[in-house]
Amino acid sequence: MTDILQPIFGLLIFPGGLFALTFGLFLKGLDRKIAARLQRRVGPPVYQPFIDLIKLAKKEMVVPETAHLWGFRLAPLFGFAGMMVAVTLIPIAGVYQGFEHLGDLLVLLYLLALPAIALMVAGSASSFPFGAIGFSREMVMMMSYELPLVIVLLTVALKVGLATGGLATFSLHKIVQFQLENGPFLFDYTMLPALVAFLIFIPGNMGVVPFDIPEAESEIVEGPILEYSGSGLALFNLVTSLKMVVVLGLGVALFFPTPLSEGFLLNLIWFSLKCLVLMIISITLVRTTTGRLRIDQAFKFYLRWPTLLALVSLVLTLLHR
Amino acid sequence: MKKLLQKIVGKSPWLYRINAGSCNGCDVELATTACIPRFDVERLGCKYCGSPKHADIVLITGPLTVRVKDKVLRVYDEIPDPKVTVAIGICPISAGVFRDSYAIAGPIDSFIPVDVNVPGCPPRPQAIIDGILEAIKIWETRM
Repeated sequence: MTDILQPIFGLLIFPGGLFALTFGLFLKGLDRKIAARLQRRVGPPVYQPFIDLIKLAKKEMVVPETAHLWGFRLAPLFGFAGMMVAVTLIPIAGVYQGFEHLGDLLVLLYLLALPAIALMVAGSASSFPFGAIGFSREMVMMMSYELPLVIVLLTVALKVGLATGGLATFSLHKIVQFQLENGPFLFDYTMLPALVAFLIFIPGNMGVVPFDIPEAESEIVEGPILEYSGSGLALFNLVTSLKMVVVLGLGVALFFPTPLSEGFLLNLIWFSLKCLVLMIISITLVRTTTGRLRIDQAFKFYLRWPTLLALVSLVLTLLHR
Repeated sequence: MKKLLQKIVGKSPWLYRINAGSCNGCDVELATTACIPRFDVERLGCKYCGSPKHADIVLITGPLTVRVKDKVLRVYDEIPDPKVTVAIGICPISAGVFRDSYAIAGPIDSFIPVDVNVPGCPPRPQAIIDGILEAIKIWETRM
């Protein structure tokens, strides 16, 4: 009985579900507040995303007459379901183990593509020109930021695999265990280029300002989510906040999973703090200090710098086995 | 329960801006009201949204010229229903200096129900924020 109940608990309450939703929304609120303070504004209260969510859930949902009905309705659910499962795959050192199966890093890679695919479906199903433009731009963005991510994950997997005598270990649980025994990858010079590449990957995946080309607010008025209102828009907001938890949690698990002490609550707070620092460095600071790139510039940027850094890390890892 | 919900909802009004043929004076004033640190409206929970489908409070500037009349009415219809209209500047009230021109379809409130008027040419940022606050009060009762 308990082995059925435990995954359900994991999905609905602790690492997924309730915890991830509140944590993600608080991260989003903190992001807005810190960005406002950086621009010398007062900014909204930290709990503002909760209020927005309640309001959106209460408003009516308008479905355009020309839209493809099922694609339009189901697109946000795709992304939401994918992210809910992805949260349960992220191990939190000293708090939650994650799954011990061999290939959960690969599963996570596939699940991370789901929000972008949901946006694509939404953009093409809404039957609106701006939605279609957003769809094509989202596709280009996805193709450009996936490559450095794949190389970074491969580097980490190879590092752990070569050190433990195999070839590559695609298991987040084992990667975290390895770092707990041999020290975090943050202090390993061969992994530093990969860390920088991952930091550059985060704003592209989250779609914040220098890379918010698919949802460009001032030219194609939020692109794929333009036609959504009410509960559909609320679900898309939830998807972005959950994606924030997944991506930042993945970064923490890959590079600095060391727990603070034995206590459950203390470790959880430590994990949240690490996520917060990662968010400030890679999302808030970036989005307050830059302007938007064009889609071809972003494509070239991603295929040049993060890919190069990740490849350097890969070569260094292979040389220092 | 309903009172609590109204109180919560009042803290998240999303703004949408329609330019009905204005001379851009009020629009500049609106943009600075939102963007410049001194008159930050995000502290009220407001957010400028690009799409009319996301909006709660509509800010209309300009006297409604003949050319944009159909487009403005269509965009106004696309906004989902509990909505509040705020007309900004003297133009929506009486068409201002453009009154009786052949290019003007008329003051806005003969086509669109206006809830709050913020007169001025252009109005001060403080007056605009005051108008938005008034609109939030009306919007709470409609939700």
